Amino acid sequence: MKDMTDTSNPLTQAADTQKRKEAYFTASQGQLIWQRFKRNKSALAGAWVLIILILSGMFAPFLTPYEPTIGGRDKDYLNGAPQIPSFCDSNGCSLRPFIYTSTRTRSIQTNFRWVTETDTSLEGRRYLTFFTKGVSYTYFEFDINLPGKALDFHVPGFKFETHLFGVEPGMIHLFGTDSTGKDIFSRTLTAVNTSMAVGTIGVIIAFVLALAIGGISGYYGGWIDSVLQMFTDAIKTIPSIPLFMALAAFIPDVWSAEARFFFISMVLGLIGWTTLARRIRTHLLSERNQEYVLAAQLCGASPAHVIRRHLLPSFSSYIIVDLVISFPYMILSETALSFIGLGLKDPVNSLGVMLQNVTSADVLLNYQWYFIPVLFFIVLVLAFVFVGDGLRDAADPYSDSK
Amino acid sequence: MLQFSRFVAIRATLAVFTLVVVSFIVFSLMEMVPGDCAERYLAFKSSQGAVITAADIQAERVRLGLDQPYVQRWGHWIVNAFQGEFGDSCILRLNIRQLIGPKFWLSLGLCLSALLLAYAIAIPVGILAATSKNATLNNSLRFVSYLGLALPNFLLALMIMLFSTLVFGNSLTGLFSKEFRDAAWSFDKFMDFLSHAWLPVFILGWSATAFAIQTVRALMSDEVGKLYVTAARARGVSGRRLLMRYPARHALSPIINSLGFDLNRIFNELPIVALILTLTEAGSLLIEALARSNDQQLAGAIIFLLTASIVGINFITDIILALTDPRIRRSIIG
Repeated sequence: MKDMTDTSNPLTQAADTQKRKEAYFTASQGQLIWQRFKRNKSALAGAWVLIILILSGMFAPFLTPYEPTIGGRDKDYLNGAPQIPSFCDSNGCSLRPFIYTSTRTRSIQTNFRWVTETDTSLEGRRYLTFFTKGVSYTYFEFDINLPGKALDFHVPGFKFETHLFGVEPGMIHLFGTDSTGKDIFSRTLTAVNTSMAVGTIGVIIAFVLALAIGGISGYYGGWIDSVLQMFTDAIKTIPSIPLFMALAAFIPDVWSAEARFFFISMVLGLIGWTTLARRIRTHLLSERNQEYVLAAQLCGASPAHVIRRHLLPSFSSYIIVDLVISFPYMILSETALSFIGLGLKDPVNSLGVMLQNVTSADVLLNYQWYFIPVLFFIVLVLAFVFVGDGLRDAADPYSDSK
Repeated sequence: MLQFSRFVAIRATLAVFTLVVVSFIVFSLMEMVPGDCAERYLAFKSSQGAVITAADIQAERVRLGLDQPYVQRWGHWIVNAFQGEFGDSCILRLNIRQLIGPKFWLSLGLCLSALLLAYAIAIPVGILAATSKNATLNNSLRFVSYLGLALPNFLLALMIMLFSTLVFGNSLTGLFSKEFRDAAWSFDKFMDFLSHAWLPVFILGWSATAFAIQTVRALMSDEVGKLYVTAARARGVSGRRLLMRYPARHALSPIINSLGFDLNRIFNELPIVALILTLTEAGSLLIEALARSNDQQLAGAIIFLLTASIVGINFITDIILALTDPRIRRSIIG
């Protein structure tokens, strides 16, 4: 028995290494990248944070108690401080978390300024409720307006009324409220979603442009390449934020918030393609003279087949990495634009919109909770940077040998 | 020598050509703004009570030369732009050169100092990070670099304002004290300027510093492992002398090369940081021109000037590179 284990152990070990080697050599590009990515702890943590943030942005209507727009305002709690639910106070503990009732008064004693008083007695407690029925929201609701009356559809989507939490009676504001009484917590999560949407549209437009321009430039080479590179270089030299500002200033004031949103995303994409285009072009230029391309051509493959089956897969991982890395720049550019009032406007929420008025001394001195969303965005951008860096290392086939 | 001047001439031609392409893009953008200068000016007059007819607008267009074909106006604009003349602002009716001249130089000065500060910090710190095996130091530097990416300059400016308001009760804004704002330049004004300017310079240089540390570190750690360094060490060169003599000089070329892009990055932040710190003397004029008044003439001039200084820096760094890097020098001079 003892002999058996002794002899079989090295054998199974050898078989194991054999299997591992086989798995390694037959693994696809994606599997290899994923394996290397998994080993990078900070990138993995970044990926988790990113997934959580994206999901909480997508499910913002459920996770947040109120509408992020003026419709969800709490007119009795303007510029209100964050209300942190607690379990215990001097009056004893409760299993259900509670917040206190605040009332705003203005009288001759307070010099006619609004003063918020918090009732910390047992009567002042308001208890949190979970899966509260509140304002309704819909997913997948949209209209299709094709030419012709008969072709107009309205997709009702799914309608929900349940929110994760609420408070009975009144309203709860985890991150406080702004000067019009809008709930900053609800706005923050919605803003994460908006930023992701702006970034996604921007990145897709930039990607398509980069693929087209970089692809033409790299595949044809010659004078077409020179002209396109000259153009790309010129755009790259112009500082992008001032250029964004110039483009965004064209938006007429009468445009709706949604139209602004799409225009801003488009502008971000229209300027952000240069780096990726340059990379695609360089890669195509160096790859198209490789032997495997020549072999495919000698076998009678058409140019479309060569590009699709041989050239694109050779650098698709780089493209994905570049897209992830360019994402935070899109988000930050949008924030900057909205911050100075040239980007998104009020009913649409984004970090820039929320920060529009924070430079006033009043806010700096008295209402510091306006800055809470900034933390979310620093975390969001950091997560993107970590994931992007991790992906870049993972996509580099030579990072293993080190 | 002849070959070197040929190199300079080619580079200069390329720079001018880039500027021409840029001017075309900027000019086309200016043209795309709804409404032209004539309409805007007369709209202003009409708001002052004057009665304006369509004929007046047409006459104003002819006066401003807006009735000429597109290409001709572009040619006119670029010829003037290269002489530093941008015509009159649409709204303010002032000569743009007089309007932005001193402010532009001040902004450029701020940005260049920020660039200088960034590399003054990044080069020693980056070299240290690349050569030291200290894990704490390396990790904290990595964290700072990531923070430089995630906390854009304008958010940093906001945070510093928040902090200084809470701690010092003073938001540290502006470039001059009240009594010096309109005074002529003097030693006192200069000192006052310095006491205000350090904050914008620091904030503008923040991201650039983070990027620069990353770059210097990556370049140095690539070079330090190379055989020529080992060979030098075997010959008995060691310590700072070794680093400065061999790998640092190799790593310098890509850094000089990227100065133009760093300046680009700083310019990106300038208008917004200027707005937050209420530096009315610097970049916030651009925001004023765009957001408040749609002043295409002024905005075009500012963007052109910013780009021109980047192209200028790129040109200068090309020349410096050719002079300092023997590999490039040899390929040019032969």
